[in-house]
Amino acid sequence: MTQSPTLSRRSAQSDSPLPRKSRQRGADARAGYTFLLPWLLGFIALTVGPMISSLYLSFTNYNLFEPPKWIGLDNYTTLFQDERFLQSVGVTVSYVVFGTPLKLAAALAVAMLLNSKRRGQGFYRSAFYAPSLIGASVSIAIVWKAMFGDAGPVDQGLSIFGINLGGWVGNPAMTMPMFILLTVWQFGAPMVIFLAGLKQIPADLYEAASMDGAGPVRKFFNITWPMLSPVIFFNLLMETIHAFQIFNSAYIISNGEGGPAGSTLFYTLYLYLRGFSDFRMGYASAMAWLLLIVVGILTLIIFRTSKSWVHYSGDTK
Amino acid sequence: MINRRNFLTTVAIGSASAAALAACGQPAPSQTGSADNPVTINYTWWGNDDRAERTRKAIALFEEKNKDIKVNGNFTDFPGYWQKRATEAAGGGLPDVMQWDLSYLRDYGQRNQLLDLSTVKIDTSAFDKSLLPSGQIRGKTYGIPTSTNAFAVYYDPAKLASLGIAEPDGSWTYKEFNTFLAEVGAKGNGALFGSTDYTSVWWMFNIWLRQNNIEAFTEDGKLGFGKDDLKKWWNLTADLRGTPALVSEERVTQLAPKSPFGSNATATEVTWDNYMAGYLADSGAKALKVVPVPSDDPDNLGLFLKPSMLMVASAKTKNKDAAARFIDFMVNDPEVGQIFKTSRGVPASKTQRDGTTFEGADKLVVDYEKSIEQYLKDAPEPPIVGFGTLEASFKRVASDLNYGKLTIDGAADAWFKEAEDLIKQNA
Amino acid sequence: MTTMATPTQSTPDAEVPYYNPKSESVGAKRAKSTIFHVVALALTAVVLYPGLWMIASSFKPNAEIGGANTSLWSNNFSFDNFVTAMDGIGGVSTLQFFTNSLILAIGAVAGTVLSASVSAYAFARIKFPGRSVFFGMMIATLLLPFHVVIIPQYIVFQQLGLVDTYVPLLIGKFLAADAFFVFLMVQFMRNLPAELDEAARIDGAGHVRIFGSIMLALMKPALISTSIFSFIWSWNDFLGPLLYLNTPEKYPLPLALRLFVDQTQSSDYGAMIAMSVLALLPVLVFFLVFQRYIVEGVSTQGLKG
Repeated sequence: MTQSPTLSRRSAQSDSPLPRKSRQRGADARAGYTFLLPWLLGFIALTVGPMISSLYLSFTNYNLFEPPKWIGLDNYTTLFQDERFLQSVGVTVSYVVFGTPLKLAAALAVAMLLNSKRRGQGFYRSAFYAPSLIGASVSIAIVWKAMFGDAGPVDQGLSIFGINLGGWVGNPAMTMPMFILLTVWQFGAPMVIFLAGLKQIPADLYEAASMDGAGPVRKFFNITWPMLSPVIFFNLLMETIHAFQIFNSAYIISNGEGGPAGSTLFYTLYLYLRGFSDFRMGYASAMAWLLLIVVGILTLIIFRTSKSWVHYSGDTK
Repeated sequence: MINRRNFLTTVAIGSASAAALAACGQPAPSQTGSADNPVTINYTWWGNDDRAERTRKAIALFEEKNKDIKVNGNFTDFPGYWQKRATEAAGGGLPDVMQWDLSYLRDYGQRNQLLDLSTVKIDTSAFDKSLLPSGQIRGKTYGIPTSTNAFAVYYDPAKLASLGIAEPDGSWTYKEFNTFLAEVGAKGNGALFGSTDYTSVWWMFNIWLRQNNIEAFTEDGKLGFGKDDLKKWWNLTADLRGTPALVSEERVTQLAPKSPFGSNATATEVTWDNYMAGYLADSGAKALKVVPVPSDDPDNLGLFLKPSMLMVASAKTKNKDAAARFIDFMVNDPEVGQIFKTSRGVPASKTQRDGTTFEGADKLVVDYEKSIEQYLKDAPEPPIVGFGTLEASFKRVASDLNYGKLTIDGAADAWFKEAEDLIKQNA
Repeated sequence: MTTMATPTQSTPDAEVPYYNPKSESVGAKRAKSTIFHVVALALTAVVLYPGLWMIASSFKPNAEIGGANTSLWSNNFSFDNFVTAMDGIGGVSTLQFFTNSLILAIGAVAGTVLSASVSAYAFARIKFPGRSVFFGMMIATLLLPFHVVIIPQYIVFQQLGLVDTYVPLLIGKFLAADAFFVFLMVQFMRNLPAELDEAARIDGAGHVRIFGSIMLALMKPALISTSIFSFIWSWNDFLGPLLYLNTPEKYPLPLALRLFVDQTQSSDYGAMIAMSVLALLPVLVFFLVFQRYIVEGVSTQGLKG
């Protein structure tokens, strides 16, 4: 665990005698559960049951209307012979791999740009956040199709540079780049979180670094990155998880079909179609748990590697 | 310290088993209300703001005439509607009365979610006898049609005139129809195309099967046609794909959710006749016309009247009689016809139809259905369980075919694989 | 991304001579400021264009929207769409839809901020047995696609007789069901210097006091971010209200919005976009008002142990 350069820290090892320590531990345990109570209640009442029942349903042929019948691993084995399932995996993975890093980079860059005391900051911040608002609206389908349509703004803008792609919307090869741009365009949420994180960095660190003659690049790597690492970690993890579960925009833009030619058949969209259009909720549950396991392993890896680059000012050794 | 692990496990399994059971309650005896103490029934429908407005008027009228019943109305958009119904059915509580779509009649009816309406009092004497079977499954009546629609070829007379093409009279073979589309495409100069690929529409395929005396589905819920029939069907427009006779699939996707015809990209469109009002609004055209679909057998157009929507009741309703009275009112009352005009389709009950005055676009639709009366055959039985999936998959595979992702043979293979899998699932 | 220079190592680049930011010339400052505004404005133009198009479309007649029509300008600008949008649907006024959305959003913000901050404090600042197991469980709830828990959850609320009330839509917010926010606050709390708690503890403060008087004050940027997000998510939530509400008088905006477009009848895209624009205004105002608190939080300077 690394330490911030200027924050001198007292040793966290309290040198109090033992009895007090164990009393302290008891008090901490009580306090911990008390503070955790709302989450625990919600978890038990609203989350655990449905999660476990979906796991159970993934081994059944549940069709929503009749009591589920146990069919063992059938759903899971069928999945891997299902061409559309494999297609949805491909679509989703390429979206995660390209969309998430780009979105995070854009969010961090803009947040750094806006983290200064200049005039008009409020206006810029709101302007850059606006796409996230529009992106959640049902109108996004119409707006986005207009932007990427034949002879639309994007097409015309690119033709200035001699690139003539025509319309993106109806072209199965171009729908994925279109979706990636859609998510990058909505960098507002991680940007806001980065801004809040930048706010936490004590200004005197930068002043001290300036005294030492550090330039912007060195300041970034020596102060900003480490001090911001908990927030970077948070955004990385959340954006990755969210990207795997992209649903709303895909549903709205493709009219719930995942077209053209299956190019926008994202994992959760296919899961939804299986569960609610084909009434194969057992199958959909199997898909859900497969995703949970895969993304869970990925999350675990991200957590493990985080120990080497994420650093918390508040952690005691 | 509480024993956390035990506690958690108990709770988890408890709520999990509660969730996994879909309780099958017996319908309670029907309650009766009075003017001072009315019974309340819930009615739900899908549609736009215009339909919400009309339905509200109809409900007000019903409550005025039936002081002992109160109707709670509730509406959502079409896709949301079906997700909500599926969730409610799984949770064991569908609303008392619902507007319904033929595609889902078997899914819910055969699985005991809907009330057998032959057990309650609803007057069906004013209905065409050929229409009622489409709401019936294995001798039980699950739905009463509110209205009918039929398949037709739409065209925009102004667009044809501007290209110097004569208006069709609706007696044409597939070859003649294709020639007509090619002519529109050739003269349309890249700005106007003939039509969308009519072979990508399931119902048109179904009509073609009927023209060739093939039933789409057998009574035991299997396919009544073979792979070769489907290949033959998709081959009908093989020469037109990629030519201006058919609007390209790229454009179709680009224009969705509006149809190419509604966006003025094509001169014709093959679809249900009750889309008239929507097409007029979307395209801004002054007038649109409808003529019968092509057929290679002039005596058999394969046409039938389909319930454009039905009224159904929940199998678990506690107010069977009130629900039945409301359904009866919605399908038979002439004043209801006046409120809805053809926005639900052409009123199916003669009583309601005769009590309604039709003007403008409404009249066109009614006249069209009168004009094809001589060709109409019995409506097919409600489509098989899972039909919604089959129809969506038909559209998708046909779209892949038009994108050139699949050959005709490959498309037929792909669709049959999905269809057989689905039929096996629901056997 | 895994190998990071630790902050104590200095990169061995050329030593810049001693430099005082205050000695920067006025000219250099102005040049920097100009560059900043040019970059920011260019970015704004690109990012906001779709929004401008949307606003322009809300004044266009229906036939000019969608498909091949992509221009900003129309010769037929009118307020008709807004008139339609403000008309209400099925006897419920548009104002009622707005009010309902507002009630739900405010409830969501209150519930989320309260419950997530309390839970996050436990995860971030208290050592108790089983902490990491619970934390893992919490992250796991983020991983399951929500469509498969819809039905089991619906059954729970159905059994409790809570369908057609706002309870199913809000109770989760008050019970920190959204792990995103708990995790967000955990990350922020863990990054506050440990000396704060220690100093307070030595002064005899308990967890309640540390949380109430120290943490909350220092967490302002995170709390504001949480408020903004939970407001907007609630404001745009479609699925929850769709499933749990049966009375049109209780509907929030997103349910009403979709009734302008119907595949089975005519669709009024103009009215839908107009209503979307109207629906965006409150959230935009909400953001405008609160965004400055994100960056004008309590300064953490002077909190060095």
